[in-house]
Amino acid sequence: MTSVLAIDTSTSRTTVAIVKDGNLLASLHHDDPVAHGEVLPRLVAQLLQAENSIDEVVIGMGPGPFTGLRVGIVFGQSFAFARNIPWRGVCSLDSMAAEINEPGFIVAIDARRKELFWAQYENGVRVNEPQVALRKVVERFAVPIYQEGDVFLSAAMMPRITGDVREPIYIRRPDAYPTPEGVTFRAMNTMDLITVASLEKAIYAVEDPWSIDQFKEELASKDRYYLVAEKAGVVVGYCGAMLAGELADILTITVDSSLRRNGIGREFLKRLIDWARNKKVEALMLEVRVGNDAAQPLYTSNGFYPLNIRKDYYGPGLDARVMRKDLL
Amino acid sequence: MTEQLVLGIETSCDETAIGIVRGRKLLANVISSSVEEHARFGGVVPEIASRAHLEAIHSVLTRALAEANVSINDIDAFGVTAGPGLIGALLVGVSSASGLSLALDKPLYGVNHLSAHLAVDALETQHELAPAIGLLVSGGHSSILKVSNFAQDVTVLGSTIDDAAGEAFDKIARILKLEFPGGPAIDRVAKEGNASAIDFPRGLTNDSGHIYDFSFSGLKTAVARYLQKVPNAVVADVAASFQEAVVDVLLEKAIAAAKAFGMEELIIAGGVAANSRLRQVAAQRCEVAKIQLRIPPMTLCTDNGAMVAVLTSLALSQGVGASSLGLEAQSSTGLSRVFWP
Ligand SMILES: [Zn+2]
Repeated sequence: MTSVLAIDTSTSRTTVAIVKDGNLLASLHHDDPVAHGEVLPRLVAQLLQAENSIDEVVIGMGPGPFTGLRVGIVFGQSFAFARNIPWRGVCSLDSMAAEINEPGFIVAIDARRKELFWAQYENGVRVNEPQVALRKVVERFAVPIYQEGDVFLSAAMMPRITGDVREPIYIRRPDAYPTPEGVTFRAMNTMDLITVASLEKAIYAVEDPWSIDQFKEELASKDRYYLVAEKAGVVVGYCGAMLAGELADILTITVDSSLRRNGIGREFLKRLIDWARNKKVEALMLEVRVGNDAAQPLYTSNGFYPLNIRKDYYGPGLDARVMRKDLL
Repeated sequence: MTEQLVLGIETSCDETAIGIVRGRKLLANVISSSVEEHARFGGVVPEIASRAHLEAIHSVLTRALAEANVSINDIDAFGVTAGPGLIGALLVGVSSASGLSLALDKPLYGVNHLSAHLAVDALETQHELAPAIGLLVSGGHSSILKVSNFAQDVTVLGSTIDDAAGEAFDKIARILKLEFPGGPAIDRVAKEGNASAIDFPRGLTNDSGHIYDFSFSGLKTAVARYLQKVPNAVVADVAASFQEAVVDVLLEKAIAAAKAFGMEELIIAGGVAANSRLRQVAAQRCEVAKIQLRIPPMTLCTDNGAMVAVLTSLALSQGVGASSLGLEAQSSTGLSRVFWP
């Protein structure tokens, strides 16, 4: 008699099951891409009421969005540690593929930034290592693609998956860039107002620069988030964003013209994205001037895609392109 | 009746830490840090910290149990930092603690990180815990807290509105071309300098809207400007005068809070509590103000698991209820509760 507890949190579905001697005893799931941490212990507690004696834990090791993925892995490992029983890791794409009965297909998990974590299967066997690629690249393979929604990963299938993956399948490297030499970043405060407003005036002379009072109002508003970059004690750039319901909007990213192309803008953008993620909003939006080719690659490489054009947004003849980055 | 055995987990920033206590007796305190991986990026990268926590947590757990010479089955209750901190990092600790507590059917307490920093003073002392003012100063925090009851009633009176005190030390050390971390470097160099050589500003001291708040960015700018103006300034004098300004404003506000709320004790915790000038001036001013000064041992001042364990232990002894299953890790700062419901 062996009872296996299976756990996967690599997709937006938290899925758990107990399989006893090869037969499904009970399974539960909950769909929420940002609540794995709260949901998983409750689901497992419910399962344990059906069968508290567990002999092995099988854990989905990804690939999948990192924060949620780690919840299942560390919970499963700690549970096994405390019960003094073994755990075994399986590739989450394999678990999803087990739901599909077709000769050839691709299974994919949303990796955000218009990318997919994916692997290809032939006659039920995975033929490549899990990888990450732009959706349009994966679509070039002339085989059906099954994604979350077309098919759901079920923990009930996991004990049947072979192999033992001991490390999380991250694929993608963490987003981190060396910070620009000698430049530090911190929250903007009222003592920065004069410098910030004078930078603003110098850079946006023709585009209706914000006044000190406008910045002051911005700082006082609690849905706003403003940062400054400092070099040798002098403010050399600033950025800001606001919360707007389910979205966040980047209001400005401004760097002293003599210090551009130093990675300061990139660092600002990264920090704004981290902030927006922590606020659990759906997406981060920004406007970029049509014709401002210098800024565009920075945004696209960080997962922003163009939505629409706003005519005369920056003044007559100065159109803005609205860009969006999905966060959930 | 023997006292309960409690295991505490801390993963709010870049230290993966587990401590084990029996009542108020420290049995183990194991810390693994990813600080070096972050040094290259000049600040904690959340994704790197979270990956490092997952990698380290079970070996830290094994080492802590060995150090305490107990088995995981002996643990009576678990505590875990549930906030504030980096959300992805907190989630590793909270999910691990949930797995342990559920597997063993033992209570789990979600704990406030700031409260835990002060509660660590209860470890290894027979000292009766009295209401106190807490001054929490480190690279991540600069706060004044009012502690009416360690396990139940802690409020934040004020915090920094820009840099943390420890950050200010790091930044000034960089400007003065001293090594990292800046705290110990400035402390050492300042011993050779004249603390009253330069009169640097004390931020927010006359601002009635920010009685217990701090601001260190103006001070930092003043030091930078001074060095531009006086290129061959004596580094030791600058370091000593800067340190004096920080120490002065920290203690002025902390002691004012103690007097305003009738508290007879001041607890200083966090990494900056290691600063020798802060300790010296604190001792002098507390004596004058007839306030009992308490500073936990330095190994317990920086982020650690023992502080989470001892706070959980206080909760148990005061009959505070355990957290519910699936407690939510929370990144936001401020202190709305000591324990998660
Ligand atoms: Zn801390």
